[in-house]
Amino acid sequence: MRREDQERILTEVQSRVVAQRVEQAAAGGPPLEEVLAESVYHERRRLRDEKDSKTKRVDTEFWDDVQRRLGRAGEREQQSLLRKIVLHYGREVVGNFDERVYRATTRALPPALGVLLNAVSPKRLVTQLPGGLPRLDDALVIQGEVEHLRRLHELGTVILTPTHGSNLDSIVAGYAIYRMGLPPFIYGAGLNLFTNPVLGFFMHNLGAYTVDRRKSDPVYKDVLKDYATLTLEYGYDNLFFPGGTRSRSGAIERKLKLGLLGGGLSAYVDNLRRGSPNPKVFIVPATLSMQLVLEAETLADDFLREVGKSRYIITDDEFSKPLKVWEFMARLFSLDSKIYVTVSRGLDPFGNPVDDDGESLDPHGRRIDTSRYVLVDGQPAHHAQRDAEYTRELGERIGETFLKDNVIQSTHVTARAVFSLLRRHNPQVGLVRLIRVGGGHEDLELREVHRETARLLHELRGLAARGGIRLAPLVQAGEPEEVVSDGLRHFAIFHRTAAATRRGDRIFPTDRTLLFYYQNRLEGYRLDRGLGTTPVLTADHRALGVAA
Amino acid sequence: MTTARTGARRARETEGALKTVSILGAGQLGRAVAEILAAGGSEVRMWSRRSTSRRAVGKRFPQLVLADSVAAACEAADLVIFAVPASALREVARAYGETATGDQIVLHATHGVGEGFVLPHQVLREETCVRKIGALGGPLQAREIAAGRPLAAVLASRFDETWQVVQALVAGLRVRIYPSRDVVGVEVAGAISNVTALAVGMADQLELGDTARGVLLTRGLVEAGRLGQALGADPSTFAGLAGVGDLIPRRITTTQRAHAVGGALAQGQALDEILAATKGEVEGVATAAEAVRLAERLGLELPLIQAVDMVLHGEADARQALEDVLQLDLDLSRGLVPAGR
Repeated sequence: MRREDQERILTEVQSRVVAQRVEQAAAGGPPLEEVLAESVYHERRRLRDEKDSKTKRVDTEFWDDVQRRLGRAGEREQQSLLRKIVLHYGREVVGNFDERVYRATTRALPPALGVLLNAVSPKRLVTQLPGGLPRLDDALVIQGEVEHLRRLHELGTVILTPTHGSNLDSIVAGYAIYRMGLPPFIYGAGLNLFTNPVLGFFMHNLGAYTVDRRKSDPVYKDVLKDYATLTLEYGYDNLFFPGGTRSRSGAIERKLKLGLLGGGLSAYVDNLRRGSPNPKVFIVPATLSMQLVLEAETLADDFLREVGKSRYIITDDEFSKPLKVWEFMARLFSLDSKIYVTVSRGLDPFGNPVDDDGESLDPHGRRIDTSRYVLVDGQPAHHAQRDAEYTRELGERIGETFLKDNVIQSTHVTARAVFSLLRRHNPQVGLVRLIRVGGGHEDLELREVHRETARLLHELRGLAARGGIRLAPLVQAGEPEEVVSDGLRHFAIFHRTAAATRRGDRIFPTDRTLLFYYQNRLEGYRLDRGLGTTPVLTADHRALGVAA
Repeated sequence: MTTARTGARRARETEGALKTVSILGAGQLGRAVAEILAAGGSEVRMWSRRSTSRRAVGKRFPQLVLADSVAAACEAADLVIFAVPASALREVARAYGETATGDQIVLHATHGVGEGFVLPHQVLREETCVRKIGALGGPLQAREIAAGRPLAAVLASRFDETWQVVQALVAGLRVRIYPSRDVVGVEVAGAISNVTALAVGMADQLELGDTARGVLLTRGLVEAGRLGQALGADPSTFAGLAGVGDLIPRRITTTQRAHAVGGALAQGQALDEILAATKGEVEGVATAAEAVRLAERLGLELPLIQAVDMVLHGEADARQALEDVLQLDLDLSRGLVPAGR
């Protein structure tokens, strides 16, 4: 982002947040004094639990000052304090994006993601290099509506909304954007991704701004939302993960965070009100698919241990260990494993598909004047309830698209086959018990696994032919034996315990949690219908928003 | 002296609530709604497929603007009301879709379903770009409206604007609109009420008595609720105006027709003969078949609806089928009563 735009945006964020809060107070909402007191309360509580650091001391001093001034503040001073708080939050949020650093960084990337990964642990680089930098460039397969995405970028402002399973997704998505010849997208990344100062520097300069999920102050959330909306209004493409957090269950996310999605519609309305020449905002879903997920063990364990109360913020997982990241990438690529980034057809903020000219289409392909959706007494205007409903529908369309463009790989199929057989052989054992403790019937005949895989492949290929899913080449055309063999090979290369292991002519589900996690990639396609088993993830799991 | 109507018109003029309303369909319900809205001061346009209907309406309501095409009726309209049977909904919606705009609000009073148990709001979404869709449910008593008696209806929509516009249009009139968010529930309740009416028609013809009538009405409501919940409806909708409130009066034009058809079936007449002799659509017939197919896909038990469907297709004797249904346990825990209550 250009530095002058950054300053202007911060100034506008201040104006908007203050204006919104003053308006709410005038309409009977919480008075400014209460809003400020709440900010102080939330932040002091957060800081109380933080380890001592320079940042903590600076923040504490800031909030002490706010609290002191709040005691004597009249209306004008309260507004001034609110501006100060918004600016304080805003400065933390924005990156120090430098175009020159971006160009330098991405020029270095083609030889390897290793340059970035090297930044993760410079000390280890020399001593523990595993004989060659991982070549992300070779492993990355970017497919789908790439040309369409490029067109939409020229016609308006794009919000790319990928699926989210790993913290590596930020890097993969950022690099895919570069590979597609697009300028960097603005995106919010969790603060934990910036704890390594060198990585943090790169993250900022690849377009990321920080999102501190530990902050519960509603004013902070206003700042994030208005900042994201304003970047869109200024024509900066955005990326964010509508699932909000990494999928804990391994399933494709269906319950999406609608707050930031609504920013697209908000920006569109504001663009119309201002008479912007390019008012359109496009939402482009994308799916990311890897054979293995770096943090699978931690995420799946978290899902099972506290279903419904899973930790939203996990900072002490595999991603926080630089060598683990390195090892993961190197081993994945050693098997010629592919990372699929599949770009879907674009949508407008109302969930309508858009054509290559950026025109929204109705179900019969007729062009729609979308400005009519947001008229109030003939003029474009915000309307909270109406806009929330439009955004909800957009969320549903994105969820449907995720399922359709999800790429299934051999690990997902193998896990599904083995796990389905486990459930069928242990019908009296509840799901969580089966995963945690196992059933009476544990190991499986290899032939039986092959047969089940064949059945699954037949069903998946039929679904793919109808456009309901995507399959990696081996899953699309390989023999069941090849698919299982490839799946087992991948399971063996990275996790502490392989999800499943072959010994002779038997398959042992050696880590049922991982099996459960990887087979969940096939949730949502009603593949259980013919089996007499119920879907693994219940509606409750999905409703709990545990990234299911 | 200022009449109530004049006062209401002035109130709406002040609020800026005067709207252009298009009514698609000139049957009893369409005409009744046109009369209400015209009395309220709105500009009302009407379209009907049949020119004879248009002429008849034109004579009766000279203040209406009669349109000879859907596009002409709906151009620049603020509100479009579909008063057509389920069998015509898709065709009319597709025609409307040619000129529909995203700021228009669409209401429908269709108490039936399309092929594959596609609900009316889904048909409208599949054929147009419109989002602000409202489903009218409850005792839409066309004859009572025509007689100037009070009207109450449920208006289900996911958009507040829909209720607000309709409330403003009928302000000062003897019309009470109850808002709901449960579009699916209101539509399923309305559709299945026509199937229940067939069953009640059979029971009355067979003189099974008031108790049997009560049981069948209740079972119809329970099965509607069961089906509705499977599609995501709120169970409490079926205990409200769209469900119970619709069954109690039981004199909607369409359900009178359904009641008569049920009676004819119980007398042993063949369905195609009955339909040939019946003026107007009998939506319960198609709805029963679609509901049975959906129930099979979802694994639901809908014994009354299945019995009605079998009688309609000559696969069961009306008396035996209803007696069998009346013998069943009335499990209210799934369907009408929300879980946990």
